[in-house]
Amino acid sequence: MISRVAESCFWLNRYIERADVLSRMLAVNRAFQLDVNLPDTERWRPLVVVAGQEDDFTGLTEEDERDDPELVQDYLSWDPRNPSSLFSSLRAARENARTIRETISLEMWEVLNDLWVWIESKTARRLYEKDRHAFYLHIRNQCCLFHGIAQETMLHEDPFEFMRLGTALERGGQTARLLDIKFHSIGPTAAEQESPAEAAQWLATLRSCSGVEPFLKRGDKPFSGPTVAEFLLFDRSFPRSVLHNLHRARNFLDLVCPPAPTTIGSQSRELLNETLTRFTARDIDGVLEDGLHDTLTWIVGATAEICGVIHDEFFDPTPIVPRKGQQQQSQQQSP
Amino acid sequence: MSADETDSSLFSDYAPLKGTFDECFDADGKVRPETERVVQLLESLGGREFRTRQRLADTTFLKSGITFSVYSDRRGAERIFPFDLIPRIIPGAEWERVRTGLQQRIRALNFFLNDVYSDQRILAEDVVPRDLVLGASGYTPEVSGIRPPGGIYVHIAGIDLIRGPDGEFVVLEDNARTPSGVSYVLENRMMMKKVFPHVFAESRVMGVEEYPIRLRDALAAVGPAPDDEDGTAVLTPGPFNSAYFEHSFLARRMGVPLVEGRDLFVDRDRLYAKTTLGPRRIDVLYRRIDDPFLDPEVFRKDSALGVPGLVRAYAKGNVALANAIGNGVVDDKGIYPYVPDMIRFYLSEEPILGQVPTYVCAREDDLAYVLDHVGELVIKAVNEAGGYGMLIGPQASRRERKDFAERIRSNPRNYIAQPRIELSTCPTWTSRGVGPRRVDLRPYVVTGRDDPWVLPGGLTRVALVEGSYVVNSSQGGGSKDTWVLEETAS
Repeated sequence: MISRVAESCFWLNRYIERADVLSRMLAVNRAFQLDVNLPDTERWRPLVVVAGQEDDFTGLTEEDERDDPELVQDYLSWDPRNPSSLFSSLRAARENARTIRETISLEMWEVLNDLWVWIESKTARRLYEKDRHAFYLHIRNQCCLFHGIAQETMLHEDPFEFMRLGTALERGGQTARLLDIKFHSIGPTAAEQESPAEAAQWLATLRSCSGVEPFLKRGDKPFSGPTVAEFLLFDRSFPRSVLHNLHRARNFLDLVCPPAPTTIGSQSRELLNETLTRFTARDIDGVLEDGLHDTLTWIVGATAEICGVIHDEFFDPTPIVPRKGQQQQSQQQSP
Repeated sequence: MSADETDSSLFSDYAPLKGTFDECFDADGKVRPETERVVQLLESLGGREFRTRQRLADTTFLKSGITFSVYSDRRGAERIFPFDLIPRIIPGAEWERVRTGLQQRIRALNFFLNDVYSDQRILAEDVVPRDLVLGASGYTPEVSGIRPPGGIYVHIAGIDLIRGPDGEFVVLEDNARTPSGVSYVLENRMMMKKVFPHVFAESRVMGVEEYPIRLRDALAAVGPAPDDEDGTAVLTPGPFNSAYFEHSFLARRMGVPLVEGRDLFVDRDRLYAKTTLGPRRIDVLYRRIDDPFLDPEVFRKDSALGVPGLVRAYAKGNVALANAIGNGVVDDKGIYPYVPDMIRFYLSEEPILGQVPTYVCAREDDLAYVLDHVGELVIKAVNEAGGYGMLIGPQASRRERKDFAERIRSNPRNYIAQPRIELSTCPTWTSRGVGPRRVDLRPYVVTGRDDPWVLPGGLTRVALVEGSYVVNSSQGGGSKDTWVLEETAS
């Protein structure tokens, strides 16, 4: 398929994933504030930090505003200047879809277009003012609807695999960001006894991934920071765990890699395999020993790096046709 | 419910305009024998049922995204091209003359372009004035001496036809660059089958569905690459172009990739697309981008829509461009009056289709006549399309006429003038029942290595505003399905 189209497929789903995760974070954080008494600084700003927008946010606001809960929520939900806001993500998702209308199904386009028209409408703004939970839930449900419709209406061929590849890599990174909120609000995680605030934070993190019941199904583990972190990092089957998404990414990558003699995708695959090996080399105890925050930071960086190599190999290839001699050489190099 | 007394008849109050040919009714208001059957079938539905089906058609178009974009809209909102459910009917025998006339015209235009960009025989023999050709803004000296693969320049043509009061089809203008609108022909037909299955089934209408396949085959036939590395693609300026729907539609229906300039590159004078499986050779490009934007190395340097090196690849014969570069010279309205002479010159045949008498302001006598008769003529800039750059003398104010006369004086080469033709009308659904509205017809002609193939019918555009002569979609026009009836064996 045309490289640009593949890139739009990939980014379409990355933006959908960002909107989905952010709406979950915002909804759960709101509920969490009701349960726990935290200092102002620990309430909302961590969401800005894990979204990677701290510098921009600081630049746009006065110091005494930055812990204003309404202001932070507004920045994360609506601000068009914030490239990660819900508004910006939904706009970018629709724009990517618009350029590949002939690739996605009509039904997928309708979901995205409706969602965009809705978030620009007064209805959405009113719902945000009146019932914020319902507002975030609507976005989350439409994102799920989009995935379901894609699954049921698109050819399960390259464009679809690039979309799913985008979802898997974005989600792996987002789950790491989600886990890191706790570091930025309460502090480092250790294996020792936890405060009630910490316990509540962990429960909130699980809830934002729709992970409470799946976690409980794992049975014997007591509910604690380390067990929740272990679940969200290493569970093989949980759809939002980091490991699950790295595995999925590898599967989708295999599906879009061309057969020999070309070697497109080999660097992406190599990097993804390296990341998986390094990620699974330690268990949760090892992770806590080295520091959870550092591991999470590494995961966010590693998934971004994989996306970068995929970009270079698949989406923005060097505009040169391999000469015959060179092709043979690279054939020999590939295992 | 039994027979509905309040339900109105569709055509009982219909009155053709005086001095104008009507497609369905004669001057006395009697239905023409060739269209009688279809008119009866429509009439049997009744006004109320007809209205319901018109609404059904409108919603279907909007929902399925058959739209054109409006540039100014911030959201990139798309609008539907208004569609009128009453078909325009052309009897088979009449169509046959149009079809052969179009084939003849396209053959002549192709010879002319080959000649203009090589020996210029027709200029040497003074059949077409040299100054006029070399001075045409569509004349492209950069492609002189380049012979396009297969010698074909006009792969896809849209020739605009009109009918005057005598009912004869004549050529109004040639579109040999990137004529658009064929996707509406196909979509309109699909809609008619959906909305009027019964009427359709009983009317023996010639099919249009084979267009994308005909086009794909014609394009593939001129591709210079060997079979194992050939590939066709449709080149679009992108989703913000007003005809993007059509680009995407044709790519899908031909089963070829839709690409933008940045998806392509030229390496060792060959054209490739960047794909996730590596570079893929493209040897035929159905480009929907105008010449000046095709290649920043040769034409406009600021163009980000094109492909650097494309003209080089084209000059080496490694890629066929449909349509070829330089066709603008035959779209020039100042060249148009000479097409009958081209037909005689290259084919030694008499033109089958007539055309509209034209005053070329580049000729001194004509200029004087035009300036004396601004109020009676339709005056057009030679390089404009879409109903822009045009003055309809009889409808213009004194001030507008004066301004236009000034413009003509300062650049006579840029203008032609024609008498205003009373365009034929076709019964059309309006808010006040069925009324006569003016129409034109754009048939599409596809040419590969074989004889030109003419799509039966084409796009009928209709001026929906009462009394209007302008049928362009950008200026309040709509469209109709065009039914070419098969000749009955009897």
